[in-house]
Formats: sequence, structure tokens, C-alpha cells
Amino acid sequence: MALTLTVNGHTRTLAIEDDTPLLWVIRDELGLKGTKFGCGAGLCGACTVHLDGAPVRSCSTPVSMAAGRSVTTIEGITPAEGLHPLQQAWVDHGVPQCGYCQSGQIMTAAHLLAYNASPGDDEIVAAMSGNLCRCGTYSKIIAAVKSVAAKHQQGEARDDA
Amino acid sequence: MTLSRRDFLRVSAAGSGSLVLALSFSGCSGIQTGYREEDDRWVADAWLEITLDNTIYFTLARVEMGQGTYTGLTTLIAEELDVEPSVIRPKFAPVAPEYRNPLYKLQLTGGSTSLATSWEPLRRAGASARLMLVAAAAEVWQIDPASCRTDNGRVLHPDGRELNYGQLAKLAAAGKAPENPELKPREQWKYIGRERGRLDARAKATGTAQYGIDVELPGMVYAVVTRPPRYGASVAGFDDSAVRAMPGVLDVFAIERGIAVVADKYWRARKAQAQLVVEWNTEEALAVSGDAVMEHYHRAADDDPGEEERREGDFGAGVRSADRVIEASYEQPFLAHATLEPMNATAWYRGGRMEIWAPTQAPDLARIAVARVTDLSPDEVAVNTTFLGGGFGRRLTQDYVEEVAAVAARIRKPVKLIWSREEDTRHDVYRPAMLHRMKATLKDGGVTGWQHQVVGPQILDWYVRNAAPAQYPWAPKFLYDTLGKVGLMAEGIATPKDISAIEGAVDYPYRVDNLDIRHTHTDAGVPISWWRSVGYSHNGFAVETFMDELASELGRDPFQFRRELIRHEPRHLAVLERAAAMADWDSPPAPGRARGIALFRSFGTYVAQVVEAGIEGGDIRVYRVSCAVDCGEVVNPDVVRDQIEGGIIFGLTAALYGEITFENGAVVQSNFHDYPLLRITALPEIRVDIMASSDTPTGVGEPGVPPVIPALGNALFALTGIRQRKLPLVARA
Ligand code: FES
Ligand code: FES
Repeated sequence: MALTLTVNGHTRTLAIEDDTPLLWVIRDELGLKGTKFGCGAGLCGACTVHLDGAPVRSCSTPVSMAAGRSVTTIEGITPAEGLHPLQQAWVDHGVPQCGYCQSGQIMTAAHLLAYNASPGDDEIVAAMSGNLCRCGTYSKIIAAVKSVAAKHQQGEARDDA
Repeated sequence: MTLSRRDFLRVSAAGSGSLVLALSFSGCSGIQTGYREEDDRWVADAWLEITLDNTIYFTLARVEMGQGTYTGLTTLIAEELDVEPSVIRPKFAPVAPEYRNPLYKLQLTGGSTSLATSWEPLRRAGASARLMLVAAAAEVWQIDPASCRTDNGRVLHPDGRELNYGQLAKLAAAGKAPENPELKPREQWKYIGRERGRLDARAKATGTAQYGIDVELPGMVYAVVTRPPRYGASVAGFDDSAVRAMPGVLDVFAIERGIAVVADKYWRARKAQAQLVVEWNTEEALAVSGDAVMEHYHRAADDDPGEEERREGDFGAGVRSADRVIEASYEQPFLAHATLEPMNATAWYRGGRMEIWAPTQAPDLARIAVARVTDLSPDEVAVNTTFLGGGFGRRLTQDYVEEVAAVAARIRKPVKLIWSREEDTRHDVYRPAMLHRMKATLKDGGVTGWQHQVVGPQILDWYVRNAAPAQYPWAPKFLYDTLGKVGLMAEGIATPKDISAIEGAVDYPYRVDNLDIRHTHTDAGVPISWWRSVGYSHNGFAVETFMDELASELGRDPFQFRRELIRHEPRHLAVLERAAAMADWDSPPAPGRARGIALFRSFGTYVAQVVEAGIEGGDIRVYRVSCAVDCGEVVNPDVVRDQIEGGIIFGLTAALYGEITFENGAVVQSNFHDYPLLRITALPEIRVDIMASSDTPTGVGEPGVPPVIPALGNALFALTGIRQRKLPLVARA
């Protein structure tokens, strides 16, 4: 069963059973370990990646669903030099505790900001509601997302001026 | 700090000529440690290594599971060494006596002890190294060492010349470590106590931090284990014919803890496992259902008043002269740890040795776990620790290491074992369910007596099997089980006495004349372990809820009532008053909301919290938590705030949802739908104030948990007039 998908811009052809969750393909076949396994049931968000730009739970997405489509993981949003603005905000705010949930949190936040560049608190909370953090880093997550949104707004204000 | 007297530093020039400082807490070495593959020999490892190319390595003897040791301990060494903490490269320690936690005599991370036990020794190690580097520079320049200064990894000559630490390492290594280096006065601290980021944040924000589950080895295969659905059951027989026919399956076999299925890929192992047919022998299996555990505790409490743990005055006489006697009992359930990274470990058996990669809180015990289930001795086992995706006490128990070791010993290939979330929830070692029976005597508007009967198991009963042999690694293996029992009595393991059931009860702090605190030791047969804040987690609820009941019985304000009875304890009093002020206690809350307060000391840290809550649409809603903390001197205020806030969320999760139940001996809950964690949508506003202090730092990873549970319960009582004496709390208007 050969299957072709594009991951972080690289097109890969794999021989793998159709029903294998995308998560294990990303982690074990492609060696991208930043995407985490938390529950395997779509309940925690640790495995969040983007499929054609939309966040999905890779633990509950059979790899066949990603065939011919484009997958982006935490490695894919990390620039070659420096950090993605959200990653920078995560570092500046010291968001991670154990850190295990944070790839998923950042991928969810990245999608939020992609369609809503300056979300309000309620919108941030609603968007992030599927991502669990056992360490309780939620308030810093909100602060970090807001800081990126605010920078964006300042940027826009400057563009307008 | 008494530890420093027993510490000593050893200096050596490592092969490359780098300055290596080995710091020992125990002074007893002689056991070879730290396997290095390149030269295939065992070498002593170091705490601090400065290489000729000016790289500074610091060995972290405590694991990083989110509690901030990676940042906190590195900051301590950096301060005295005089380098930016971010320049230092921390690495996780191998198993060696040098890295043992001096309080436990074991290499483990728990009990909120990392900072307290490292506070002096690490700063002294940093100071020693700095003095040696300065001495080396002075020798090069032929000047008085006292005329040299240091700044961020460089020694400065008065005339402006400078040498970096790497350039000086070789010369410094030939020197002698000063016996008792002076430590910087706090006014000169550059890094301790300053807000700064976490050193591991970048790796964790880019997905590059390596957790146990991320370990990758050449030719690695995957294992899953089918375990008995009921604790204590064993394999009577199994049919693996369908399993073996599945793609990628390499082997299926029984191990002590169940049936292992090994395949070339994880998902193939999982799919194949589903085909396994096992017949269980359930003769000795756990059989509890529903309320059976609590019923068992109540019977035990009736039959046995328990061992006296603290007695002051005469409670019985107080009862006879009391105006009123108030009684209540509190029931608290089993709780799972639910670390977000499920249990997992990787092992490789080759050349008569086993190497383990594991997210473990106790690498020491991991070696023993391997030795127990293989023909290896602990000396033949090396343990590599990774980042931990949460610990909370769960990873002190090495059951997952036992499993992977048993598999690796047979498979003889690198093998990674991963538990599913369902397995993680159902095969946890739980926070014990506990029953508390409380009685108080009231007279003339005050409290004259307090009786607390704690009813439930002790954790060490379940733990000694692995811990005792780790203290006696030279003992022959056949003695392990015996040592598990005898070793405990001979030397004591975590403490001379297991206080896991009574901590937070025996140290009842309020001024009451007659105290009678006892423990009825009874065990329902459910495996248990330490869980973030351990005994304090349930005693906090019992003590601080009953205090609230007494305030209400006496018609007193719950804050003023506590305040009066704690006047003699200044640190308690200060946090209590601060939390009340933060919450604006004296002003009425918004309509539909109410406040509850609780005060609790655990792990040497004083915490008071006020919770503001209401009921919305049939659900409990927590709006705000105001928290004051006194944890002594603060190394990193940001980490303290994070840990306390994390503890509050952990406690709220338990108070609102936490409950593991059994049906015919099997755990009912399985994943986050029926064992929920607090989501961001339920996040209250949390404010944490840290009291200024120059006392020795105390732990912050756990003390945030206990008070929030009674504070929320007390708020709901204030809201509804209904007292809830059973957890988790429910929305009742
Ligand atoms: S692992 Fe996919 S949602 Fe939890
Ligand atoms: S940081 Fe540990 S689970 Fe989120």
C-alpha cells in the first residue's frame, strides 16, 4: 500500500497500512518526534498537526486521509533560523512546564492566528479548549498567544499609518 | 543546613584536561558508576565540567518533569560560578551514589526536595570552581588572586586583560578545591531571585526536547503488554495464533506482568494485540466494586481506633466537659496521576548489559527493577534519563521499566514499550482513597479539642520491594524481597517512619488544647503510590473543611476564626492575612458567588488560598483563586508562580472531577473522557503572591495542591449552605 503525502513541504511515499494513525507515521516513519502521543482518542490535542492548514488530531487521523495532502508539524513551523513568533512568545513567557503538551498547543494557536490575527480572550480560550495541559500552563498560553496577536496589531497599525 | 558538613568536593582533570568537580553528599563511594560506551568502562561522572573549549556542563541529579529543576539548579551553580545560567549545558545524571538525594539516600526526585537539598551544596560547588579558576588566572598573570574579578565566565585582570574559564580549565584542574568557599551575600546575586525564562523553554517550544517516548535506536522494535484487567490476576493461558499471523509481529510471550506482543511498528503491535486471547487466573485478584473500599475503611475505623500519632492534653476529658461535640467524616477517592506522556521506556540488552532510556523519577530504582526481572545485577544496568512529560509521583514506580527489561532480555534488540492512555489510567498506582473521621469539642464559643482519625493505607507498604535493594546494591538478588521488608526497619527508607498517610494531620497547626491524632492502618488491596502532595492532598481537605465546619458551628467568620487560632505561627498568619487581603475578603462577592478559604503548610511551604466560586448552568464554576505563598528564599519567582498555579489547577482537577472507581476489581475509567483534566475553558483567574523571605528555600511543586480543594468546598458551602464531605465535589444548589 504505497501512499504519498507531503510533510513540511517534502513529498514522501511510504509503504504502510492505510489505517495507521498519521501520528505514528509522522513520529516513527518520518522521525519527527515533536508531535506527541497523549491519549490516542482525540481528547487531549498533544498530537495536533495541520492537514492542508487545518488542525487535526493526528492520533485519530488514518494516514490514508492524509494521502495526497499537505501535513505541517511543529518542526514545519520552526524556521531554519530563529523561531516562529508563537515559539518566541512561548520562550519569552516561559510557558512550558513539562512541555509535553506544548507542540500541540502551539499548532492549535498557530491555526487560530492564521484565520484570526487578533483574537480576544474568549476566542483564544475557545480555540485552545481541545488541548489539555496536565501541568496547568493555561494562563501563560493565553498570555503568550495574546502577545503575538498584539504585536501583529501594532504591525498593522504601522502599516496603516 | 547540615548537609554541607558531609559534602566534599573531588577535583580531577578528565582525559581531555577539563576541570571536573565531583560533589558528593554521602562521602561513601567506591561503587563504580556511569557507563561510557566509547571506552566500554565505568567511570565516575561529574557535577560540573568545564572543557578547554569553554563549554560548561552541569549534571542534573534531579529529573526535570516540569517542576523547573533544570532551570532552578542550574541557576544555583551559575550564580556562584558567575556565568549566565543560559550558557551552562545541563545534562541528566546517570545512576551514581553522588547523585543520590541525601534525604532519601536514593537517587530520586520527589517530595519537593530538590531545591532544599541542593541549595547549599550546589552553590558551594560553583563557588569552589570559581575560586579555582581565579587562582589559575592569578598564577598565569602572577598577581594576587584577590585582585581578580570574574564576570560571566571570564576572569578579569585589573588592567583589563581577561581569560575565559575554558582557557583556565586545565590549570585550574591541577589545583585544590577550597574546603569551605564563602558564598556571595544575597545583595550580590545576579541570577537567583530574578525573573528570567526557563532554560528548557526553547527546546520544548520547538518540539526538540527529548522525552522517553522520543528515544530512537537503530533497528528498534516496539512492545505492548496486555496486563490483567484486575490487579492480582495472573495469566492462566493464552492463545496467540491469531496474533502471530498479523503483519510485523516478531514475538508473543508471557512476562511477569502480562503478555508482551512485539512487532516492528507500534501500530502493528497494537493491532496484533487486539487478537490476543488470554485466560486469567483470578483467584487472588482484586474484587472490589462501588463503595466496597469505603465500607471496608468504615469497618476498620469502627474496629480499631488506630495508632496514636500525636497527643496533647486530654481529648477524652475535653469531651466530658464540652458544651458540644461536633463530628464529621470525609471520604476521598483513588486518583490517577494522568501524566500527559504515558508510561514508556526503551531498553537494549547486549553484551551482558542492559541499557535503559526512561522518563523516570528514580533511575536508581530503575536499575533494581531491571535486575529483579532479568539475570543481571544492578551494576550491569545503565539508565539514561530523559525529559519527563509529567511525573507527579507516578514515575517513582518502575513497573514500566520492569516490563521493557523483561521484553528486551528476550528480544535482544532495542525495544520501546509504550502504554496506551487506557492502560496508563487502568494500571496506575493510585493516590489512595482515604477516610477521615473528625471530632471536635466546643466550649464557651471556642474549640477545646480536635480529634482526627485517618483511615487508610501506607504507601511504603507498596514501595519497599524496589526501594530497599537500591540502598543495598551489593546484596544478592535473592534477598531483594526480604530486604524490602527488613531494610525498611533496619535503616528506614524515605523517612524513619512512613508518614504518607498522616502528613498534614499530625502537624495540625492551630492552637487547640486537646489533640488526638491517630491512624487506622488498613489497605483495600489497590496499588497505591505518591501523588502530587501525597498525604497532604487528603489531609488538607479533611483538616481545612472541618475547620470551616467549626467556624460555621460557632457562627464565626472562617478567616477570622483561623486567624485567631494561628496567631502563634507567624508564617502561617502572614500568608493567611495576605490571601484574605488579595481576595478582598471583607467585601461581599458578586451575586451568585461565594468565597472559601484554606490555610495549609506542606513540604515546609506555607500556602493560603481564597477561592471564589459559583454554580452556572448546573456546573461548579471557579472564578478566582487568590494565593499567598511563603517558600523561603526564591531562586526563580517565575518558576514558583508556575508551580503554585499548576498545583492549584491539579488540585481543582481533583476537586471537580477526580475519581477512580472499581467494578468487580477492574478500574472503570480509561481516558480523558471519563477521567477528565481541567480544560482552559474552566480556568479561573489565579493570582499568586510570594512572601519575601530569607529562610532556606522549600519546595513549591506540591504545596499549591492541598488547600485549593477545601477552599473550593468551603466556597460551595458558603454559596449553598450544603456541606460536601465527599470528593469529587458536585454542583448542588
Ligand atoms: S493524542 Fe491525539 S488527541 Fe490526544
Ligand atoms: S506543560 Fe506539561 S502537560 Fe502541558
